[in-house]
Amino acid sequence: MRMTLSAAIVVTSLAVPSPGAASSVRQADKEILPFIADDFPRALATARAESKPILLEAWAPW
Amino acid sequence: MRAFVFTDKALGRQAGRFVWLSINTEKRENAALLAKYPVQAWPSFYVIDPASEKVVLRYVGGATVPQLQRILDDGALAAGGDREGRKPDEWLAKADAFYSAGQNKEAAEAYQTALKGMSTSSPSYPRAVESLLFALSASRQPEPCASAAKDAFPNLRFSPSAANVAGSGLDCAVSLPKDAPRKAALLQALAADAREVLGGERAGLAVDDVSGLYQTLAEERDSVNDAAGKKKIVEVWAAYLEAEAAKGKTPEARAAFDAHRLTAYLELGRPERAIPMLEAAERDFPGDYNPPARLTLAYRALKKFDEALAASDRALALAYGPRKLVLLQARADIYAKKGDARAARKTREDALAWAEALPKEQVSERQITALRKQFETPP
Repeated sequence: MRMTLSAAIVVTSLAVPSPGAASSVRQADKEILPFIADDFPRALATARAESKPILLEAWAPW
Repeated sequence: MRAFVFTDKALGRQAGRFVWLSINTEKRENAALLAKYPVQAWPSFYVIDPASEKVVLRYVGGATVPQLQRILDDGALAAGGDREGRKPDEWLAKADAFYSAGQNKEAAEAYQTALKGMSTSSPSYPRAVESLLFALSASRQPEPCASAAKDAFPNLRFSPSAANVAGSGLDCAVSLPKDAPRKAALLQALAADAREVLGGERAGLAVDDVSGLYQTLAEERDSVNDAAGKKKIVEVWAAYLEAEAAKGKTPEARAAFDAHRLTAYLELGRPERAIPMLEAAERDFPGDYNPPARLTLAYRALKKFDEALAASDRALALAYGPRKLVLLQARADIYAKKGDARAARKTREDALAWAEALPKEQVSERQITALRKQFETPP
């Protein structure tokens, strides 16, 4: 990630995907990568039960 | 990435290797998790060991499908889940551990050591270089950052990392103090690298990386007061983004670069060119605050303050979390430009109140101090 791009985003309140776009894509994601949304305890319990690492994607809707 | 990468079927083989968790950092209920896993840039990816709950690998920024495959492979290895019996390089593992903990200065030193002993053909080489550049930039070491990018570029010029490496290095070179002895040479070399990427075969490069590279090249021209050169670059940048958006088969794909396009149009002094695309996005995504928020900025730049305030009303009705603060600040600025000092002050008060009510993980003390200062010296 480029630091100045982050700065540009702060200045002009810009960034890429939108919540609308994100939620639609989430539907499609389910077929490829089964993301759990905003629920760390559930992800942690699943990861421990299945002995798998967690892949956490931190994103923002702007 | 959400519109193009996560939907790629090639990632299917990764699905069962991890438990996948997405965290919207703007939501209040996620603030506590941000204290545990601080986020410095978006998007950020963490591979977390569920036993210790520690981050074993961090990757910051967007990635193409092949890059993400590599990150996930390295993540599985770092988490001890690799089935091929490979052993992580000791220095790379050490660097990744510092980087995962957000210790950017220590991470940079360890990546530099790891890279000395690593073949440039190693599958981990591109990720190590990109992480080194971010760590140097984040720990405010622009000259080592620009130098490292200049040295690594020849090894990565035909890889998906080329745009990011040239762009990150050029960002760092632009940010060097004017009197830095190596500034001119680094700017020249890295601008040439950036132009090479943009002039070459772009297949395999992420659109936002290419877009970022145009933006950085425009900033480089700005830094040497070349207004005509800058305008030429921004015009090509805008045309590139328009062509990419036109390829989109879905409303999501068409709107994916609206933020970049707005930036380019504002730089060109042609904000009116953003209006049709943003109006279309607002129709396509009625629950999304981004299109009206971007319309606010476009109308502000056009000095159409009533339209800007109407768009701001619509955006604020949908916005939440830290982004609402940015929208309130833009609104106060519109009132000030319109000559309504009372409304501007009231909106700044609202912004300060909103900032003070946010969880501390979602707003910095520096932002709150800056908001308070506005009342000491109103513009």
